[in-house]
Amino acid sequence: MAVSLMINGKATEVDADPQTPLLWVLRDHLGMTGTKFGCGIAQCGACTVHIDGVATRSCQFPLEAAEGVKITTIEGLSPDSSHPLQKLWVEFNVPQCGYCQTGMLMAAAALLDEIPNPTDADIDQYVSNICRCGTYTRVRAAIHKAADLMKA
Amino acid sequence: MNEIKTTRRNFIISSLALGGALVIGTRAQAAVVDAEPWDLANPAGSVEFTPWLTINADGSVIVRATAVDIGNGTLTQIAAYIKEELDPVWDQIKPQYASTNRDYLEENVYSNANVGGALAYFSGRSTGPARMDTYMQVAASARERLKAAAAAAWSVPAGEITITEGVLNHASGKSGGIGEFVQAAAAIQLAEEPKPKDRSEWTFLGKKHPGKVQLPQIVNGSLIYGVDVIVPNMVYAALRQSPVMGGTLKSFDADAVKSMPGVLAVVAVKPGDNVPTDLKPPFPFGVSTAQHAVAVIAEHYWQARTALDALPVEWDDGPGAQWKTTQQMNDAAIAALDKPGEKVEVSTGDFEGVFKAAKKTVEGTYLTPYCEQAPMEPLNGTAMVTPERVDFWHPSQHSQMAYMVAADETGVKPENVFFHQTFVGGGFGRRVFSDDARMVVAVAKHFPGRPVHVIWSREEATRQGRYRPLMAGRLWAALGDDGYPTALQGRVSGGPGFFVSGINDTAITSLLPNVQIESQTVPFHILTGPYRGPGYNSNAFFIETFLDECAVAAGVDPMEYRLQIFGKWADIGWAKCLNEVKAKSGWGEALPKGQGRGVAIANWGMGGKADAGTTVATVAKVEVSKEGVLKIRQIDLAFDTGRIVNEDAVRTELEGGTMFGLNMAVNEGLNIKDGQIVEGNFDEYPMLRMADMPAQINVHFGGLSDNPRFNEIGEPPAGVIGPAVGNAIFAATGKRIRQMPFRTQDMSWS
Repeated sequence: MAVSLMINGKATEVDADPQTPLLWVLRDHLGMTGTKFGCGIAQCGACTVHIDGVATRSCQFPLEAAEGVKITTIEGLSPDSSHPLQKLWVEFNVPQCGYCQTGMLMAAAALLDEIPNPTDADIDQYVSNICRCGTYTRVRAAIHKAADLMKA
Repeated sequence: MNEIKTTRRNFIISSLALGGALVIGTRAQAAVVDAEPWDLANPAGSVEFTPWLTINADGSVIVRATAVDIGNGTLTQIAAYIKEELDPVWDQIKPQYASTNRDYLEENVYSNANVGGALAYFSGRSTGPARMDTYMQVAASARERLKAAAAAAWSVPAGEITITEGVLNHASGKSGGIGEFVQAAAAIQLAEEPKPKDRSEWTFLGKKHPGKVQLPQIVNGSLIYGVDVIVPNMVYAALRQSPVMGGTLKSFDADAVKSMPGVLAVVAVKPGDNVPTDLKPPFPFGVSTAQHAVAVIAEHYWQARTALDALPVEWDDGPGAQWKTTQQMNDAAIAALDKPGEKVEVSTGDFEGVFKAAKKTVEGTYLTPYCEQAPMEPLNGTAMVTPERVDFWHPSQHSQMAYMVAADETGVKPENVFFHQTFVGGGFGRRVFSDDARMVVAVAKHFPGRPVHVIWSREEATRQGRYRPLMAGRLWAALGDDGYPTALQGRVSGGPGFFVSGINDTAITSLLPNVQIESQTVPFHILTGPYRGPGYNSNAFFIETFLDECAVAAGVDPMEYRLQIFGKWADIGWAKCLNEVKAKSGWGEALPKGQGRGVAIANWGMGGKADAGTTVATVAKVEVSKEGVLKIRQIDLAFDTGRIVNEDAVRTELEGGTMFGLNMAVNEGLNIKDGQIVEGNFDEYPMLRMADMPAQINVHFGGLSDNPRFNEIGEPPAGVIGPAVGNAIFAATGKRIRQMPFRTQDMSWS
């Protein structure tokens, strides 16, 4: 079944089973591998994308639900890695292996869109992604700093 | 210094492309490190000074890594070595992975003893001092040749020329980029090779702390991990292995799924179906043995997954099914401690006599369960097998092992096996033994001629691990009149593959005059493998919890107790680390009931010797509610690895290793039912998240002894945080935690 998708501002057609998770549509059918596979059951957040601006775990979001919504992936978070979070992730040397970090960034970006000046508790709630390398303290510091910079 | 012998003959190789390399890049990149830094040819106009180092006509420099970067920064580290000796522009240093195929063809150019490996060891630790010498030497040798070439061109003494930021300069005003002189430098013969700089002359190492070179591609999602590999004509496979390890595949009904969308084939894999080679792998091939498995191959991954779920499969569980419950296995491990161990690991002095005469003894029994490394990138790999050739893209932690396994599985000549090391989404030991590599190739060889991308589901990866072994330990101490130990006895037991390191070779076993450590293997069927700090991650918990119990029995503050004991140890780093965390953690400040501090100290890699390995002392401050809910309030650690060369890289590993060890201690434990692993995904095998962590981990540098060494840093913190938290729980509640994971233990108090 061909489905029309709007991804990072571009219209795309995908012909796949309507139950196929958006994660695999992105990675396998469209070759957009910045969105990662971690668990497949919406636990880890490595596959986080924005659906109409809301952070969503794409491994549990079927293709058939993706028609008519605006999808943003890490490839579309900024055209040139210029989102304040992306810059601070580099400045703070946040990632270790880096595998979970695109999902972290998408979760953090959605948080700052909704709550420009988040508390620690807000961060705990919105960025519940799993990082096995243990980068949490730097993720938190970078989010706070980004909030400061974006206010200015 | 382990100086390498550089002769003219082996120093400058050529300016030609790598022989036989297949260059397949799927997406173009331009940044510091290539997103797919494998098997890239030397560019036109470049000079390969040695297989480790190529300088390009534009002044950029290629440095080749034998160590896989699993997030620990090995690619950045080797770039830093080159920066120190050659001083190119930092972001013009391009780390790439050394070719395992080339290593084979060129008689171990990357893995022989002269270049820093006692054994061909391509794993995470090989950026240490021995490899450092190799990188520094080749960069220094290239530097002096460039200077000599410029000196000849400018008619000035080479000694008056400097290189700064990739530019050769002379006081006369003459200058030129290093790229302009590479061809002339290739023809230079030096009377002798220069010595690398003395540490006192370093301007970059130890002074700057660059972030990882691959950060730009991580944050925009363009870095290519194994699971991101896309090559032309590729198909996907979903995998299911015998639910009980060691079981066999009885039957499957391929006809039931072959008409499902996209399905191309259903294939069976069995151990012993390989074509052995006479290669000498870094680990015995046995550790990579395939389990019985079935895989569905389809045009798209989700099609393969869906069909696999629908595939009727019958297994013969085999003898592993005798282990009905976790409790049965735990009991067997603990029962093994009741009699003398089959192997005496250490025996010094008259421990029996001292115990008999002792007025006071302490005994403790401890247990750690099976744990899964759970790297965030699920196991995977892509292989194209034909009768003549193998191409293999894989996120390995040990590329040489994976390369040899691919040859051993297919029977294809090693010179025709091309292994492409991708970026790795976490390792923690899981991707060392290369059982995953073998499985990928074993599946792909049943579908020759098309690249097959095999991806484990999270559940499959969790239930088919090579785990941290289930281990039990019992310790006895005889205490003198002053309350301090005069003799120590220990027994450890575990399934095949357990380790005694961390208990037979640690400071207290060397310090005390009367010691015996014994071990006993229990015949469990569960497969095991390296997991961040093998052996140490259990044994540090055993011994540091036990030492806390001794301090309580002696009525001495646990910090003072350790300072007294380890203040006598020949390695001053232990006392320095303890004093540092004592001063920085608020140790001794009064806390309300339900809160407490605990300390632990251990060393990874010391092998029974002073001034070796890496020591870490950690203080944890915890709060336990009356209902028994644990919250970590503060973590302080001090460490001694002698010296460091990249402060922030060290800090990140200490933070990460601490969090890994904390998760291990608090959360992790696999259960067994009828021989199978119960837990499959993160809903059942929980991970710490942001909300579970204190806002920061306080890493203190005052423990460093300045001993002339630097050692591994990612594993040492993982062993101490668990006992530090356990000891803090005791301080908070009076309940002694002797078993991991802590979340299964009753911590309630009133």
